[in-house]
Amino acid sequence: MRKILVVLMLFLASPVFAGEELHMFNWNDYISEEVVADFEKRCNCKVVQDYYSGTEEMMAKLLAGASGYDLVIPTQNAVQALIQQGFLEKLDKSALTNLKNQDPGFLNRSYDPGNVYSLPYAYTTTLIGFNEQRLKEQGIEPASWALIFDPRILEKIKGKVTVMDDADELFGAALKYLGYSVNDVDEQHLREAQAVIIKAKPYWAAFNSSSYIKELTVGNIWVAHGYSSDMVQARNDALAAKRDFAVNFILPREGAVLALDNMVIPKTAKNKKLALQFIDFLMDGKNAAGLSNDVGAGNPNSAALPFINPELKKLTAIFPDQKVLATLETLEATNAKVRRLKNMLWTELKLK
Amino acid sequence: MPAIWCWINTMRKTMQGKAWHKYLLSLPPMVYLLIFFAAPTLIMLFASFRYAGEYGGLAPWYLHEEGRLTLDLTLENWQRLLGTDIYLRLFLKSVGYAVMTTLICMVMGYPLALTIARSDRKSRDLLLLLVILPFWSNFLVRIYAWMIIFSPVGALTRMLNGLLDLVGGGPVTLMYSPTAMIICLVYVHLPFMVLPLYANLEKHDLDLLDAAQDLGAGKWRRFWLITWPLSLPGITAGSILVFIPVLGMFAIPDLLGGTNGIMIGNVIKQQFMESRDWPFGSVLSIVLTVTAVAVVLLGARLGQGRGGRG
Repeated sequence: MRKILVVLMLFLASPVFAGEELHMFNWNDYISEEVVADFEKRCNCKVVQDYYSGTEEMMAKLLAGASGYDLVIPTQNAVQALIQQGFLEKLDKSALTNLKNQDPGFLNRSYDPGNVYSLPYAYTTTLIGFNEQRLKEQGIEPASWALIFDPRILEKIKGKVTVMDDADELFGAALKYLGYSVNDVDEQHLREAQAVIIKAKPYWAAFNSSSYIKELTVGNIWVAHGYSSDMVQARNDALAAKRDFAVNFILPREGAVLALDNMVIPKTAKNKKLALQFIDFLMDGKNAAGLSNDVGAGNPNSAALPFINPELKKLTAIFPDQKVLATLETLEATNAKVRRLKNMLWTELKLK
Repeated sequence: MPAIWCWINTMRKTMQGKAWHKYLLSLPPMVYLLIFFAAPTLIMLFASFRYAGEYGGLAPWYLHEEGRLTLDLTLENWQRLLGTDIYLRLFLKSVGYAVMTTLICMVMGYPLALTIARSDRKSRDLLLLLVILPFWSNFLVRIYAWMIIFSPVGALTRMLNGLLDLVGGGPVTLMYSPTAMIICLVYVHLPFMVLPLYANLEKHDLDLLDAAQDLGAGKWRRFWLITWPLSLPGITAGSILVFIPVLGMFAIPDLLGGTNGIMIGNVIKQQFMESRDWPFGSVLSIVLTVTAVAVVLLGARLGQGRGGRG
């Protein structure tokens, strides 16, 4: 559904409002509309949202010269690349009264030491969503990446599995399955990961990063590789639709990709002051909690925790404890050579 | 792409007709094509010899070294294309899909176009309207509709599998299969085959058929000897209008293609999006453009060689 949404929003987003406007470029389904409405009321402005569904899509658009965005929500590796490109404005911390609410554990990361340009917004993990009943019927106990990579398990659920159509994410999962780091760029290791993917591929229905929420909730697909926030949505949708099955998700024991999304202001922003106001507003504990309650994202805001649905807080796939956190890795920005190698291996495996 | 077709025709006619006013008339489209086709193609050609920028885009094409300006160009993008067979296989696969779609569109579109062309004026307009009706809703929305139809829990698949079960056949999956891709490719491109064919068939002189009948030619004989050869220009135009967009298609394989449904368009898109590798994306685009132009030239020759009024 994401692609349709993006297209629709592009049409609907045409401005008709006379007051101040804040143009935001965000992941789709990644903000609490209630919080946005509150902010609009308070600042007497309009938040114009534009969405993307993949880091590379966003980077391609920004680097191709798209301007006019006041606030962008990129993932950590994109922040690193955008900083190196000199694309981002330094954040004026003196204007941010809610800075103290941020969990120090998510600050001062290697992609932006000292958080000069970025502040954490929310985080997700890339994990496996599944249809509880169907897997139980097949006698499959989901615990590891083997669920999407091991042909012996896949045999029982052939044609009912989708994986992300994203080279970094899928290679990341395969590398983790093999015991390597998700950021491993050693050609030999990448080739091993490619071999794992090629062996599993005949059992998959498709590479799909755009509609797996729907496929899971309808029951077309029983196992999907995707973002944790999407899986929370799929679980809630299946519940709301009163299906005869439940959607659940699991963080594989080998570890997974952690995506830490951030708020940044591009140098080309037209309304930097308003963007800074919105950042501060979003860092207020109650507002920040909306991201977890409405979207199902993990929260890097300490003041938000008391406002978050306790059931959600218990899930280590969404709110990883220290032990789980140690198995998670963030993706690093890659250089042209690595991207080229990965794309070559990707094209190869897709043709196999 | 139809623009190239027009351009080639214009060029051909300009060369033949020496009258300057024809040249003048073709000037605005020529300028348009120069700006929006020739210039970008040249930029792409240049980009294909440059290095990719570290974070996307292109690296500078010259270097300042010890006060001297040196060119920083490379053949490695082209070597990458030729150094392995995967891109050749990818091209062949895409051409395969395009040929298949074109043939099915032709087989399905011809009787349709003929029926419309031979029906009376009143129903003709209605039928034509029905052919173009799908254009009224967005392309992506229509593909998503197909995704619902193909879905394993959808009515079509369940009915099909119910019938197969009766005759003892195993269940089939429609979604994420080459069959689904071909069905959608045909569905989307059928009007592009029907409309030029109709335009051609509608102009045929029906007296020719009457004359042939008077001379004792049967139904099939009349078709093969008169209607078919006369309709060749229409078939050529329709085939080009179907073949070229299908060759570069990326949305349908993305949404419906399953694990093997990758076409050259997807890989080109990947170069500009995921890999941010503009030089290699340019290489692939140039190969695609050259293929398309070659097909148009071939079509133009075929359409010209065999008679008929198109």
